[in-house]
Amino acid sequence: MTQLERLLRALHDGGVQCIIVGGVAARAHGSSRLTDDLDIAYDRSPGNLLRIVAALAPFAPYLRGAPPGLPFEWSVPTLRAGLNFTLTTSLGAIDLLGELTGAGGYEQLRPHTLPIELFGGTHLLLDLPWLIRVKRAAGRPKDLEVVAELEALREEMEREGEG
Amino acid sequence: MYEYSRPQAMLRALRDLVDLTQSDLGDRAGVAQSVIARLERSPDANPSVKTVAAVAEAAGFRLKVMLEPIEPPDPVIEAYKRDVDRTLLRENLRRPVEDRIRSLGEWQESLRALEYATRSARRAPAQRRGRR
Repeated sequence: MTQLERLLRALHDGGVQCIIVGGVAARAHGSSRLTDDLDIAYDRSPGNLLRIVAALAPFAPYLRGAPPGLPFEWSVPTLRAGLNFTLTTSLGAIDLLGELTGAGGYEQLRPHTLPIELFGGTHLLLDLPWLIRVKRAAGRPKDLEVVAELEALREEMEREGEG
Repeated sequence: MYEYSRPQAMLRALRDLVDLTQSDLGDRAGVAQSVIARLERSPDANPSVKTVAAVAEAAGFRLKVMLEPIEPPDPVIEAYKRDVDRTLLRENLRRPVEDRIRSLGEWQESLRALEYATRSARRAPAQRRGRR
């Protein structure tokens, strides 16, 4: 089992309400790009913050890029005090996104998701039109290349009658 | 008002909103539970506007269809698009989603191993020099 698979299973088994966005979502739609981290848009309800903390705690989440030794408490108050977190864990990097530029948070994205069966559980995946929208809104040069691939993907799916 | 870009997502969210089972919603809309299940799950489901409207109404909502202007093509994105290797995309589209994610995980681990091996190889000459 790969670390990415274990991370996805941990979120699912922990009952975390989240949406897979970013590079892993692009890959799920058929992108050929590789990504190093799992990006999720998460529900910020108190119950869900508790579930995220419990689900990821065994994997020692820590702020990515922070100097070693910097005090960081993995807890509900920490999540409540922030919004977007870029973390490293023993299962790899994960970004917890409370809000995405130009798209909003979990509640706004929820209607634009697809349920996918992955490794024995159902996960929510941001749909392709919204993934393109989010990447366009991010507007970073590297995102434009990704948008180009996602749009090509959408054309291919339409050609195959999948879109 | 709730906005959805796909009927599947809308129907699924609709049931969550009103807390109905597929059977309950099907009964109210006059369709079988299996129809609701297929509409929610199948990416190939292509329900008519009439069916979607009937299901929405059965849950107490009125369906509205909205037109959104298409964004004009971005010349930078169009330029990048010409270089996209579509053979890889077609290959991926033929694989189940789980395979696509599993292969990403495998690639990540292979690349980590490669990175580690490269770092070790870079360190090795320095260590050898240190031993002399």
